[in-house]
Amino acid sequence: MVAAQNGHGGAYRRLLAEMSDWLVRYFQRRLPPGEVDDAVQETLLAVHRRRHTYDPQSPLGPWLAAIAKRKWIDQLRSLGRRPTEELPEDLSIADHEASIVSASVLASLLEELRPAQAQAILLVKVQGYSIEEASSQSGLSASAIKMNIHRGLSRLTAFIEKTYDVE
Amino acid sequence: MSNEALIQSLSADLVPVRPRRMLREAGLVLGLGATELALFLGFGMMRPDMGEMVGSTYLLWRLGSLAILAAIICTVAIRSYSPTARPRRGLRLAGALAAAAMIGGIFVAPADVGDHTLLERLRPLHGILCAASIFVLSLPILAILGVLMRSGAPTHPRLSALASGAAAGSWGAFVFAFCCPFNDPLYVVVWYSVGCAAVAAAARWRLPRRFNL
Repeated sequence: MVAAQNGHGGAYRRLLAEMSDWLVRYFQRRLPPGEVDDAVQETLLAVHRRRHTYDPQSPLGPWLAAIAKRKWIDQLRSLGRRPTEELPEDLSIADHEASIVSASVLASLLEELRPAQAQAILLVKVQGYSIEEASSQSGLSASAIKMNIHRGLSRLTAFIEKTYDVE
Repeated sequence: MSNEALIQSLSADLVPVRPRRMLREAGLVLGLGATELALFLGFGMMRPDMGEMVGSTYLLWRLGSLAILAAIICTVAIRSYSPTARPRRGLRLAGALAAAAMIGGIFVAPADVGDHTLLERLRPLHGILCAASIFVLSLPILAILGVLMRSGAPTHPRLSALASGAAAGSWGAFVFAFCCPFNDPLYVVVWYSVGCAAVAAAARWRLPRRFNL
């Protein structure tokens, strides 16, 4: 990174390639598969824009992990704002590993929420049900489902921001 | 665009950068603050009885606690512009110190303040002017901290913005304390807190909007 700060393109390319591999693994465990590439590229851009903030006397890992965590939170926020689309019935999935790891992390995070909030997020944001379907499944009104999703995602974001360890 | 293509394009137009130095940034803030204070006093804004007040416990409490608070919160703010920094603990410490300073005001109150009613002691009209003056005096430091925040990489932008606002507010209060003619600690605690809180709230509301990691 010090060489990169001094303008050595080759060293920087190797560093970004290593960072990219690490970031792919990092985000695969925390985000839905379709969001991983976006998050990796956003983080690489942030690393590039803010490379002057790296202190050569400190280890690189925590610096990168802190930026990645911020981008994870941003990605979660944008996920919460985006409208949910219903998945087609015949959608095939080639590889389940990343989804399984992601689901296990998500399950442990959802334990931090109230049951109604966790259920609403699980039904609409993870399983892809519409608000109306989630409403009929859970017995709550559509507005209560929306409110639970909104509050649940906000609480989840606040919880992630407070946790100290990143990787 | 694939990750590889992005890496190629980022490394192709790489230019050298100067690593961020916190001491340099602190020096910049200190220099601007000192210039502001010098200009403020140079324009004859110091209270006329300052000569008599120098050495009094009350003035020592007022200027000392504000200077210490401004220095500590400013350090917290500048440190928070680094991605690995966590400003929460520093802000809690600053809050505890501010509370201790406010409690300390009880012990330095002049003897005659107990003779007045609460409204007379608070003087709302003057108080609002004091708070507004603190707000205006904090703007130069808030501006420089905003610029430093944008060029840094805070990973808790809302807390960083809050720290920046609180630092600028306490500096504004410190500068204003040289001209404020009121000696009642209750007045100082209430209206100076209002001024600082207004700056902190404005910074917390405005600065994160202008920031993107």
